[in-house]
Amino acid sequence: MDDALLSIENLTVTYDTLAGPVTAVDDLSLAIGPGRAVGLVGESGSGKSTVAGAVLDLLAPGAAIDGGRIRFEGTDLASHDRATRRALLGRRIGSVFQDPFTSLNPAIQVGDQIAEPMMVHLGVGASEARAMTLERLDEMGFARPAEIAGAYPHQLSGGMKQRALIAAALACEPKLIILDEPTTALDVTIEAQIIDLLERLRTEKGLSYLFISHNLGVVRRVCEEVYVLYAGRLMERADTDALFDRPSHPYTRGLLASLPRLQPPHRVKRLSTIPGELPDLLAPPPGCIFEARCPFSAEGCDRPQTIRVAGVRQMTRCHRHAEIAGEAWPSRARLGHDFSRKGFGDALVNVVGLKKRFRMGGLFAGIKLKPGLPPRIVNAPPVVKAVAGIDLVIRPGEVVGLVGESGSGKSTLGRLLLRLEDPTEGAVEYDGLAIERLPQRALRPFRKEAQIVFQNADSSLNPRKTVGETLRRPLALFGIVPARERAKRVGDLLEMVRLPRAYATRYPHQLSGGEKQRVAIARALATEPKFIVCDEPVSALDVSVQAAVVNLLADLRDELGLSYLFISHDLAVVAQLSDRIAVMYRGTFAETGTADQVLSPPFHPYTLVLLASAPRVDGSAMPDRSALLRDAAPGAGAPDGDGCPFFARCPSRIEGTCDELPPPRRTPAKGHAIACHLKLDALPTRFVPAAPAMGAAPGAVASAGPE
Amino acid sequence: MIAYAAQRLVFVVFILVAMSLLVFAAIYALPGNTAAIMLGQFATPDSLAAMEAKMGLNDNFFVQYWRWASAFATGDLGQSMVMERPVAPILWDAMAKSTILAAASLFFVAVIGIVLGVVAAVRRGRPIDGAIAIFTYLGISVPEFFWGIVLILVFASWFDLLPTMGYASLSDGIGPFLAHLVLPVVTLTLTLIAHVSRMTRSSMLEVLQSNYVRAARARGLPERRVLRHHALRNGLLPSITVLAQDFGWLIGSIVVIETVFAYPGVGRLLIFAIQRQDIPVVLAVILVITAVYALANLAADLMYAYLNPRIRYGRSVG
Repeated sequence: MDDALLSIENLTVTYDTLAGPVTAVDDLSLAIGPGRAVGLVGESGSGKSTVAGAVLDLLAPGAAIDGGRIRFEGTDLASHDRATRRALLGRRIGSVFQDPFTSLNPAIQVGDQIAEPMMVHLGVGASEARAMTLERLDEMGFARPAEIAGAYPHQLSGGMKQRALIAAALACEPKLIILDEPTTALDVTIEAQIIDLLERLRTEKGLSYLFISHNLGVVRRVCEEVYVLYAGRLMERADTDALFDRPSHPYTRGLLASLPRLQPPHRVKRLSTIPGELPDLLAPPPGCIFEARCPFSAEGCDRPQTIRVAGVRQMTRCHRHAEIAGEAWPSRARLGHDFSRKGFGDALVNVVGLKKRFRMGGLFAGIKLKPGLPPRIVNAPPVVKAVAGIDLVIRPGEVVGLVGESGSGKSTLGRLLLRLEDPTEGAVEYDGLAIERLPQRALRPFRKEAQIVFQNADSSLNPRKTVGETLRRPLALFGIVPARERAKRVGDLLEMVRLPRAYATRYPHQLSGGEKQRVAIARALATEPKFIVCDEPVSALDVSVQAAVVNLLADLRDELGLSYLFISHDLAVVAQLSDRIAVMYRGTFAETGTADQVLSPPFHPYTLVLLASAPRVDGSAMPDRSALLRDAAPGAGAPDGDGCPFFARCPSRIEGTCDELPPPRRTPAKGHAIACHLKLDALPTRFVPAAPAMGAAPGAVASAGPE
Repeated sequence: MIAYAAQRLVFVVFILVAMSLLVFAAIYALPGNTAAIMLGQFATPDSLAAMEAKMGLNDNFFVQYWRWASAFATGDLGQSMVMERPVAPILWDAMAKSTILAAASLFFVAVIGIVLGVVAAVRRGRPIDGAIAIFTYLGISVPEFFWGIVLILVFASWFDLLPTMGYASLSDGIGPFLAHLVLPVVTLTLTLIAHVSRMTRSSMLEVLQSNYVRAARARGLPERRVLRHHALRNGLLPSITVLAQDFGWLIGSIVVIETVFAYPGVGRLLIFAIQRQDIPVVLAVILVITAVYALANLAADLMYAYLNPRIRYGRSVG
């Protein structure tokens, strides 16, 4: 493709590691035409960010380009000297990275950071650069650009920061923008806003995108063609619709099949998974790199695979793509009996009127001089209401999903249920025992029965202890089994979480992310608990691994009759596992009910926004989100403390009511509660998930890939 | 910002009061009081008792403390028992000389330390980085009196280039004035530079690997500009705090160095007063040193706050 804006030809990048060279990108070719949006998809370790580093000449130390060419506007980038190449960045190639929270310089005003490349590349003066900066910020949809330009980064929310960074990337009107996971760190409602913005900008300015992401839903939304990377190799390349509707490579099909879906019914089947994990790149297998994990592997897969044509503008690195086209990705039913169908007993955990306030700042925080004569000192410590009055029942064997954006108070609620925090007000009862004021000593029996699994197993496992030592600790602490039987019990626990018994001698750094999380689950199971708080247990995991861990949690619930409070920002994951769902906003429940009730109309206006914002891979048209959400910072609430917490962002708000009075509890059905001033028949019902989903035969939807 | 400064100032006053109480109590608890020291070892019990009564030494501890502290606060630092002169002029004179020493040392520590730290960070892993590490560690790991003696040996005994002791005032001419400062300042700088340069290096390394520096590079800014505009501004913030902490260290070192070079500053005055049990001078010197230290930390905090917009501008917009 000679008319391509960017063309990558046979690119190979290797990293020098202590153990030897690792090929992070192997013989990748990719082309982006003018005005095209091209997706580069893969899980962690796929080499997708290394590609961005190679194009920008910002590879990590130790990485080197070992072969191939990168041409931009027809010129080989390697033919430029370093300074000339650097000068292309910003001027002709813009870039936006994953983490907006750390990508702006904290010491420089936002406007100056946008104006700086203009002054360097275009040679314009300070005042002209300032005028252009305000213009850019205006294009990003900021209502008051001057205020944003004068602000320091810490004064902006995450979404605002990312919009400012996009403005900086577009400062000199480059033609190509490299977007490396631009929405991954953001809440789902903000992600939706950023995607809308990116789409508008591309149309208006004729930009080309190299869009790097692990999130297939976002890629489907933004991109026109997609490259799928696995272990540094290109697995498949296709136009977006073809890729999602007729994926040809087994890896692509596995990825799509592993995704949890929002549509009910849930829990009937387990998620499909991709078994195994990334091959060791120090000694990659000679044949197909995906063979070890591929359910369709057969004779011939142990030979090196070449890229072949699989359809119109579709290429795949699989010699069996035509033979296996009709075979479904294997899925499996639940093991054992359906626990939820027996009906649940009395409350295991019973929470009434629970509140938690945090005081902010240090000794003198909130002490302010009140002007006047003489000036007076007033003490008004700023207070954050993390949990603002929660009633909740969790019954034996029941999974309650807790969903909400960052800062909604969901982790604090989880910690309060375990008495890892002391409540400010309210009661927490566990198995009939009031635990909210018990001294730590008296909590010991409770500590044995109630456990927690954290999001980040990297930091929750002690790096200096073997898996066996980590698991023996709770066994000894609570006297679960006599000392001589502990080694055997450790092995049993590992088997319970589907890990080999031999893992007892391994250290955490010898485990993959999914394996670490399994060990964390095994540690929680060691005390034979009845109740586990799972605080974002799969959020840090890749899609294929996430599915396996979600299945494991579901299996364990069925085998052991556990109750979970399952906390996640991802409604689809919550829907997959939960019997009931609670939607949390600013410390209160906006909506509670069974999973089906919450995911079907009528909705709380906030639930509707969450559902509408979740990017979907089925290609269904996105609802118009602009009508669903007012432009206010997430977490912004009513002017004073009494009104509806969602007031500031709610499009259906009733002025004078919603901002003054706490919302009443509406109950459309038994067990379904919506906290909203809107009358039942006025609650939004418009959003209907994808055309084939809701009405289709139950059971056909939840598990299968996109056949 | 002003409220913040006021808060911190209240803290400083609190620290000074606490410190003065502590020092006063320590001396109060020591065997042998002022009266015994003044009258010498041949004093009769009667004259001792009369002296104690005259000086109010039989009063309650707090009464004695209050008497001393209120006089101190109004500028009456007492009378030196050994030199038989008011403490204040002696102290201010010594202070002025020590200030010259401290300011010059701190200046060189800051400039050379920061430059070495930045160079080491930018040239990480290269020979120059290693050379700077060896040089700075040598400075910090060998005690200051050793360097002092080595320098005296080399520049005074062997080459006879510089004076080894004492102080020359500016009225004696700029040449002698500077010559007397060179060796003490070099010694102090050597011992303190490692702290600043290591801290600068590690904070600069962190900043150079940060996402915002990567983002600045990705906007095509030349590397020099990335370093000056984006990295230094954040990378030097911790160095300021370290410099303030070093100031405390500097005061400790000054006591040693002034003794080695017979430099008539506040450190030497303190040693002298302690040896002679000149209690009013000991009290005054310790309290003034505490005040200087607390104010140096206050200055560092205010400077940090001024440079760090997160403290300067708290509220959010939009």
